[in-house]
Amino acid sequence: MAVFGLLVTPAGLIRRGKSGIGVGAYAGLAGIVIALVSTIWLGFNGGPPILFGGFQIDLFTYFFAGVLLLVSLFVAISSFDFMKGDPNTAPYFGLLLLSTLGMIVLAASMDLILLYVGWELMSVPTYALTAIRKKDPNSNEAAMKFFVLSALSSALIVYAISLTFGVTGSTNLQTIAGSLATITPDTRSFALIAIVLFVAGFGVKMAVVPFHMWIPDAFEGAPTTVSALLASGAKMAGFAAAFRVFIVGFSTINVDWYSTFAIVAIATMTLGNVAALMQKSFTRLLAYSSIAQAGYVLIALATPFTVTTVTREPLGLAGGLFHVLNYSIVKTGAFVAAAAVATRLPVNTLDSFTGLGRRMPQTAFNITIFFLALAGVPPLNGFFSKVMIFTGAVYSPFSWGGYLAVAALINSGFSMSYYGWIIKRMYFDDPGDSSKIPEPKAYTSVMWIATALVFIIGIYPDPWIRLVLSVAGSL
Amino acid sequence: MIGLLTVLIFLPVVMAAPTFLFGKKRTNVAKLLGVGTTATVFAISVIIVVLFQYGYTGFQFTDTASWASSFGLNYVVGIDGISLPLLIIATFLCLLAALGSRDMISLREPEYYALFLLFETGIIGVFTSLNLILFYVFWEVVLIPMFFFIGIWGGPRRKYASLKFLIFTYAGSAIMLFGFVALYAWTGSTGSPSFDYTTLITRAASLTLPLQVAASLATFVGFAVKLPIFPLHTWLPDAHVEAPAPVSVLLAGLLLKMGGYGLIRYNLLLFPAADKLLWPAFTAIGLITMVYGASVAFVAQDLKRMIALTSVNHMGYVLLGTFTLTSVGVSAAVFQMFAHGLAVGMLFLMSGYIHEHAGTRNINELKGLRGKMPTTTVLLILGSMAAMAVPGFANFISEYQVIQGALSVAYLYGLAILAAALTVGYFLWMLRRVVMTPPAGPKNELRTGPLLILTAFLVPLLVFGVYPSPLLGSAIKPTVDHVLSVLFPGGR
Repeated sequence: MAVFGLLVTPAGLIRRGKSGIGVGAYAGLAGIVIALVSTIWLGFNGGPPILFGGFQIDLFTYFFAGVLLLVSLFVAISSFDFMKGDPNTAPYFGLLLLSTLGMIVLAASMDLILLYVGWELMSVPTYALTAIRKKDPNSNEAAMKFFVLSALSSALIVYAISLTFGVTGSTNLQTIAGSLATITPDTRSFALIAIVLFVAGFGVKMAVVPFHMWIPDAFEGAPTTVSALLASGAKMAGFAAAFRVFIVGFSTINVDWYSTFAIVAIATMTLGNVAALMQKSFTRLLAYSSIAQAGYVLIALATPFTVTTVTREPLGLAGGLFHVLNYSIVKTGAFVAAAAVATRLPVNTLDSFTGLGRRMPQTAFNITIFFLALAGVPPLNGFFSKVMIFTGAVYSPFSWGGYLAVAALINSGFSMSYYGWIIKRMYFDDPGDSSKIPEPKAYTSVMWIATALVFIIGIYPDPWIRLVLSVAGSL
Repeated sequence: MIGLLTVLIFLPVVMAAPTFLFGKKRTNVAKLLGVGTTATVFAISVIIVVLFQYGYTGFQFTDTASWASSFGLNYVVGIDGISLPLLIIATFLCLLAALGSRDMISLREPEYYALFLLFETGIIGVFTSLNLILFYVFWEVVLIPMFFFIGIWGGPRRKYASLKFLIFTYAGSAIMLFGFVALYAWTGSTGSPSFDYTTLITRAASLTLPLQVAASLATFVGFAVKLPIFPLHTWLPDAHVEAPAPVSVLLAGLLLKMGGYGLIRYNLLLFPAADKLLWPAFTAIGLITMVYGASVAFVAQDLKRMIALTSVNHMGYVLLGTFTLTSVGVSAAVFQMFAHGLAVGMLFLMSGYIHEHAGTRNINELKGLRGKMPTTTVLLILGSMAAMAVPGFANFISEYQVIQGALSVAYLYGLAILAAALTVGYFLWMLRRVVMTPPAGPKNELRTGPLLILTAFLVPLLVFGVYPSPLLGSAIKPTVDHVLSVLFPGGR
């Protein structure tokens, strides 16, 4: 029950937040910190999973709640700079918290209806957040595109839920798993349609090809800190939902949805990496690289249940969860860095990054670390989750597992070309104007925290690997 | 208990932070800490050389610790007769390159020396780690500083060269990583899966042929890019030419050796069945690389480019020797890496000094060097003699034995003589144009310090050229004999 307290904490603070501008921001920040600390505390000291209606609060919930709260903490801190002088600070923080609450509900739900409630609770505030710069046409356009596609994805999910209910007579995932195990051939096709619709519905948020079209536009148009929330928080919540629904609900059905995920994974990685190379705007480049990263997590969904005698828990799944954690830290950091550059330099093209190593040394250094982590350079955190995912793929009983890993590794190697290209721009190219630019404190502090986590997880990954293995086992 | 090797590996990276931070205020401190650390590391490696048990064929100075044991990853380091020579030249060349950097690097020194130390940790780690993922970590740690070295401190085309270097080598490493991951997964059914080298060496041999070939080819790509072999070498001339001279020493002297070392340690020793199938292809590539590198070096106008291409030429010997699968060939390949690292390191550093003093590196414009820089000229001739493999230098022994090993397998490999002849040809032609022309311009000799640094390269080359057995006979050969007898119990 204590968990509910923590879930409600941010929600309660929203109302207080509306009373005053400065107070709202601090109250929101405090809410996130309290929630994060209690999540971590409960995660380590919580007993068996708590079941309450459609909620199942287990290690998986704590893990995702922790990751999502960390992301929203990063976003909140950096928003102190970003929203400076904006009259809508309090609603901004309120919406941020509300959206985070939705994500956590999503990760805690064992019931499809509740999952849908969480999904909407997460999505609706982000529409408003994307459009929070009311006078900026780009922001409005992005919000509109995002809203239309997101609404479509919600509709698909509702339809999938109704089909699933029709086939199995339940909305509880564990009951669904039970009845899908003994499915008859005549209802099987409906279950298949439900799977496809779930993939499409979640796919919109997970940034999976071919549902990725809105991502670059929305990320570029939205205020950059909100993009960070969308790219890390909302996307990871989408993965949380997919993990729950597919791994718990549909794993018993005798249908090969694994190879579907494998194909989608390859398409997603390849498109993300190739398109990223052609971008002229930093946020668009980040958007495509985040599509590529989603592809790696999809590999984990395609080959989830590899158990080795060392790890004893599903290796691929654990790798995917680990990558979710690593990706969230790095990507949020990268978007915050983008926001830092965007607030100081007039244009958001890659030209602003020329000679950034001299103009904004801290930002440039942190971007370098984030990019190397995204490319999977050891000993940074992204490397180990990738190795776990790839190992899970090769180890899997599927005959195509090895090819999937090869495709992923070639992608990973290729991705270095655009990461390296940006690093080259920042450090090797000569800016016309090499005057130093003051770096906003809130942004840089977030970046340094993220960089510290990148190194801490990367140099001694053991506790984190243990954590994700037990989370994978708890699912 | 922390062993000597662990200290050796991590001392540089630990010192990198103070070098950067204190160096920011005063650049002299950065130089002092950079050179001081490399000197200390070299001193420790000398202790290791003294304490090394010659003739013992297993791994020595092993250090183990739990790292990510939940995933089968352990920290395991150790050296044997194959890694010992590479470990020595790594610490030795790092020291000499750091000394040379004092004269040639004048831009952003704190960053330079900090990255230099990071590089040293990486290179020592590569030659000592006995866990595949640990090896990969160090392998990549080498890559990143090198990217910045070329990109920030490089010549006119540094941006292009650095990015090309990064993409080539990183893509190669990614494919290599597939080999490692696959090895972990495929051998996992015969026991708890592991990335430990000593565990894998007993298991990989029992894999079926297709799996061995797949893993072998994947790792081969990664090592071949670094070595480099003929179609994958194009990053090398650009990177070597654009890099500042001390960094070229590291590139040619050490970074290429990572490829050779990997080929022997992983490709050769893990997959016996694949070796027996693939050796004709690999040796043929080696032979092509040798002849190709030598032919292209003939037409190089830039002294540094020529030296860079000699590396392509000489590293072909390593590939050829390794995959003769004979004890003579493999031992000579290891010894060749040792000798070539020293010879080419000396030539690169010298090309940097010559460029500084004569104002050009163009072979046709460097007229009459004997008048301008008489002592340097002597050293240039001696260094070229080493690279030409004149008897008396260590290079002669290694190249002679590679060809001997190759001939014992098939007479066709007599073609290797062609590469050796071409090497002598382009070096003599270069000396003819640079040295044997009428003296022009005033005398502008190097100071004693640089001359001593350059001479330091020659000492081991001559000592082991005349009396190679302390290294070749008592360290490399016994280990190679042993591992090959385990690998191919019935002979090759």
